[in-house]
Amino acid sequence: MTIKRTDIDGVPTVIAPKDGPVAAGLVFRVGRADEPLARAGITHLIEHLALHGLGLTDYHYNGATSPLTTTFHLEGTEGDVVTFLNGVCAALADLPTDRMAVEKEILRTEAAGRAGLAEPLAIWRYGARGFGTIGYPEYGLSAFTPDDLRAWVARYFTRENAMLWIAGEGVPAGLRLALPDGGSRMPVPAVTSALPVTPAFFCGPSDRAVAYEAIVPRSTAAGVYAGVLERMLFRALRQEGGYSYQVGAEYAPRDGSHATVVAVADALPEKHDPMLGEFVDVLAAVRYGVIDPADVAAVVTKTEAGMSGADRDARRLHSVVHNDLLGYRNLEAEELRAELRAVTPADVARIAGEAHATALLMVPDGRGADWAGFTAAPTESEEAVTGRRHPLLADRSQALILGPDGVSLQGSRSLVTVRYAETALMLAWPDGARRLIGHDAVIAHVEPGLFAVDAAALTLIDAAVPAELRVDLPAREPGEIPRPPSRLRRARRRAGRALAVAANRSANAIDGISPTIRWLARAGLIYVGIRLVMLLFSPIPKSITVPAVVVWLLVLLLLSRTGPRALRWARDRFSRLAR
Amino acid sequence: MLPVPDFDAATAYPEVGVLRAALAAGDWPAVRRLWDSLDWAGRGELAHAAGDVERPGETEHLVTVLRAALQADAADPAAGALLGRHLIAAAWRIRSGARAQYVSGDRFARFHAELRRAEEVLIEATARNPGNVTAWQARVTIARGLQVGLAEARRRYDKAARIDPHHLDTELSYQQMVCPKWDGSWELLHAFSRERMLAAPEGALNAVLVPVAHLEHWLELSEEEDTAYLRSKAVRDEIYEAAHRSVWHPAFRRTIGWVYVTNVFAGIFSLLEDQRAAAGQFAALGPLASRFPWSYIGRDEGETFMWRRSMAINGAAK
Repeated sequence: MTIKRTDIDGVPTVIAPKDGPVAAGLVFRVGRADEPLARAGITHLIEHLALHGLGLTDYHYNGATSPLTTTFHLEGTEGDVVTFLNGVCAALADLPTDRMAVEKEILRTEAAGRAGLAEPLAIWRYGARGFGTIGYPEYGLSAFTPDDLRAWVARYFTRENAMLWIAGEGVPAGLRLALPDGGSRMPVPAVTSALPVTPAFFCGPSDRAVAYEAIVPRSTAAGVYAGVLERMLFRALRQEGGYSYQVGAEYAPRDGSHATVVAVADALPEKHDPMLGEFVDVLAAVRYGVIDPADVAAVVTKTEAGMSGADRDARRLHSVVHNDLLGYRNLEAEELRAELRAVTPADVARIAGEAHATALLMVPDGRGADWAGFTAAPTESEEAVTGRRHPLLADRSQALILGPDGVSLQGSRSLVTVRYAETALMLAWPDGARRLIGHDAVIAHVEPGLFAVDAAALTLIDAAVPAELRVDLPAREPGEIPRPPSRLRRARRRAGRALAVAANRSANAIDGISPTIRWLARAGLIYVGIRLVMLLFSPIPKSITVPAVVVWLLVLLLLSRTGPRALRWARDRFSRLAR
Repeated sequence: MLPVPDFDAATAYPEVGVLRAALAAGDWPAVRRLWDSLDWAGRGELAHAAGDVERPGETEHLVTVLRAALQADAADPAAGALLGRHLIAAAWRIRSGARAQYVSGDRFARFHAELRRAEEVLIEATARNPGNVTAWQARVTIARGLQVGLAEARRRYDKAARIDPHHLDTELSYQQMVCPKWDGSWELLHAFSRERMLAAPEGALNAVLVPVAHLEHWLELSEEEDTAYLRSKAVRDEIYEAAHRSVWHPAFRRTIGWVYVTNVFAGIFSLLEDQRAAAGQFAALGPLASRFPWSYIGRDEGETFMWRRSMAINGAAK
């Protein structure tokens, strides 16, 4: 084996030879999945603060916070490695917390540029804890104090919870890793679930993309499965169907035992249905083993090509460290290659079958996948809490329910419940608004201005939610605070609704009249009309005859085909008023 | 004495009788021999026959035989297609054939659940045999019930057409989808029907799409308008053009599907009051009848067939 193992100041270290500049990575077993939602962003902020003091240098360095690990990485001379890692360790020991406010702003900017598919998939699968946390904004940013940061460092950024890799000749002279002691190798967070049934689907935020995510046991063959799936999807969706531009599938280790496979394809709205249909058919073909052996061979060849060359072990170092930190086996390059070559189409089909049983499919908004055997992921709660009902001012059939166990929002056709015992986070605004996010990712947003509720009742919520789950946010602009509709607007709405109902009923009633009666009525009306014309020439005052003619015309119109049509048009107008 | 109409497909097509006997005996190798010996039109007829099995006991037996065949060979093209088609027909019987607004919510849920079961079988069947035209045709029909959209139905239609470009059953299934009552419009319906008629060789059965489209249109119009529509010069001309390309063409053959086609022309000639032309079709048919178009024209298919036939014969004799 060309990967050497040693340790530096108690930090396990792996080394492999590489030409050119030296590269090194100090990796900690901590990431976004370890953070409670109310502290989301703490690891990322620490990573930024640890790098801040290093300033601009000639060598290339970077930091990365992933779901389970945090890495400080650089490429340069041996001297650069020593300077960089010494600097990182020193900064971790004494965080420049005076920089907190600035770095928080940088993180907010960084977050604004991010909008991927991983986020909704994480939330729908895992809820608001563990691996689901990565789907949310870094909600903790405005909450934590310097002490919170120091406590997090003491727990996770320790000698025992770190590993180092070096791609170069050996350990650079003078390299020390002065990290805090007293920690331990941290276990990966528990896998939570917000999906009662799989395969499941949900309507995603994208109007373009379909994403299929599955969880598979980590293996060489599972990586090949992702590659084969990508080739088959690309051929069917892009080359043959012409539905999609972007098509891809990826295998990524999730933890020590399982990996995530995500396949993605896009399409224009008018091509959504056939794209989804073709996607479903390709998934079925892989699962049922209708796989061209040439596809498997192509993926194996491509993967192998990435595993060759003089620095092949140096390129593997990061994943070797990852595997060690997460508790996954590490094989020699030759062993990996042998495993890879042994993968058959039957292996790929078997994995596809296992994958499908765990699948989560994101479809464009307004689409469904129940026809293809996917169950709709739950979008609301099954039951409301017991407690006091505070009606919505604009529509008393809807209400906020405040109970000793939690909060429910009862809409006209929806129900959301967040129980205090299952709350992941509460956002609090100075104007009294509260947003509770449950472990199952259900959101209960309480706007005091919209419900018949007083401040005293709302203090129930604050009292019930533990302080560590609360994040206070700055005051909102007055225009951002919802207010109940004015009395006039409510009256207008009520009138609009009543008129719309009346118009609709009349239209239906007229449609319901049998043709015979309609013809009789028309005949009668024509008779009345003739009498009216005669009246017009008689000495009876016009003040009676003109309204009579108008009424006569109206009734005639209503009984004709245009009558119901006009009424329905009026109904639509009135319903607009009622909005 | 004129013969009583016979709606049994086995009378016209002995293959159907062979299928029934083999299925009743649970003799799967015989079913497979029959399937393998037929073209896609013939296999479509077998699928029709599997869909027509509706008596309690017979249904369960059929499903058992087909599931066992799939158990033995999951890639058996006949078993997958026949099971899929049978489940679809069973689902549609739940829906009761009534138009959507008259079907109760619970029935609709069961209808959809059954269709999803059928779709599951057919997704596997088409994945294992991408060239299984009968399975794709069934999936075009399902596309309607599960409301997956016109573009997705077209994708399924295209999969079948890639193997058999003039498969009448698939064309008729997709034709339903382009009707305004589903996801289409009159323009789409007539354009598709005409395009498929002209694409098929002369003398082929496919020209029947044109009169079927006009019957769909006719049915949707009010009593005041429908006769005028059918007898307008443009529509008449199209119907006669279709007849010249099929039933009246020297290359017309009594291949599987001809009974349906001839019944359609008999029906539409009768509605046009061209009794001589209708009588010609009735004479060709003898007792052989199909449910369509008589289900559109009258209350009882058998009585309508006989009534229209006697009108045709009396009219033609004048």
